[in-house]
Amino acid sequence: MGDCHFLEGNLRAKERVEYTKSLLDEIGLGGDRLEMFHIGASDAPFFAKAVETMTNRAKELGPNPLRCETPVAEAA
Amino acid sequence: MIVAKRKPFNEIKDLVSGSKKILILGCGTCVAVCLAGGEKEVAVLASQLKMALALENRDVEIDKLTIERQCDREFIEEINSKVAVDDYDLILSTACGAGVQLSSDVFDHKVVVPALNTTFIGVAEGPGIWSERCRSCSDCVLAETGGICPVTICAKGLVNGPCGGTRKGKCEVDPEKECAWTLIYNRLEKLGRVDKMEQTLPPKRWNVQQHPAIIIHEAYRRRYE
Repeated sequence: MGDCHFLEGNLRAKERVEYTKSLLDEIGLGGDRLEMFHIGASDAPFFAKAVETMTNRAKELGPNPLRCETPVAEAA
Repeated sequence: MIVAKRKPFNEIKDLVSGSKKILILGCGTCVAVCLAGGEKEVAVLASQLKMALALENRDVEIDKLTIERQCDREFIEEINSKVAVDDYDLILSTACGAGVQLSSDVFDHKVVVPALNTTFIGVAEGPGIWSERCRSCSDCVLAETGGICPVTICAKGLVNGPCGGTRKGKCEVDPEKECAWTLIYNRLEKLGRVDKMEQTLPPKRWNVQQHPAIIIHEAYRRRYE
């Protein structure tokens, strides 16, 4: 962590992603829909694991209610 | 500058409930610098409100506009040339309390509500952190206190200190906080003016503080009196 080509850029990004997650939590959409993974350029296994994590999470959370054709309240 | 903080999102959502068309009005000065109510924060708030209201199936139109200053009438009046203010049910202002009030004065036929809580006059200590430095007491003693304000920093607002509650440079009221008078002593020592610690300042002239205060510049006195 922090070992970034842009010096501390990844640490700043981490803070901003955390903040954005809190904004999504506030509106009820859920901050879990967004995640940041620090993955080394050569760390393919971890990349695959991150993709799997987010795929499973997306399935668990279901479609973005704001993009559903059915009105949100009816779907609920 | 004036430092403010955004109100909790649910409070803002309640403030705009019942409105069908909202203008979020940002301010490009102090509250932009303290990341509370400038153009970027207006954009974030607009997106949040749009999504949150859509999740509740509420059909609300939200527009956004950020002007240079909401504490200056000429900048607020410019809004009329940019948007049709009369079309909006409500103006959600992300200015400080002064800006909200002036916007409300200029558009006195519109409901203007604040999105921020105005907190203090302060300085940026670093990225994302601000601290209070001035209570706007109308009777500045900084010349005598090494440029550190005891009225603001000292928990008791003492103009002659330290009190008996100073503990190794910390304050008895809150051990996490610096003792203002230790800071003042250290600064005066650095400036070679530590003799000022021996002088007793007169009681604070709280009576010079008016509420609500009005200042008329000398050059403009004839215009207003």
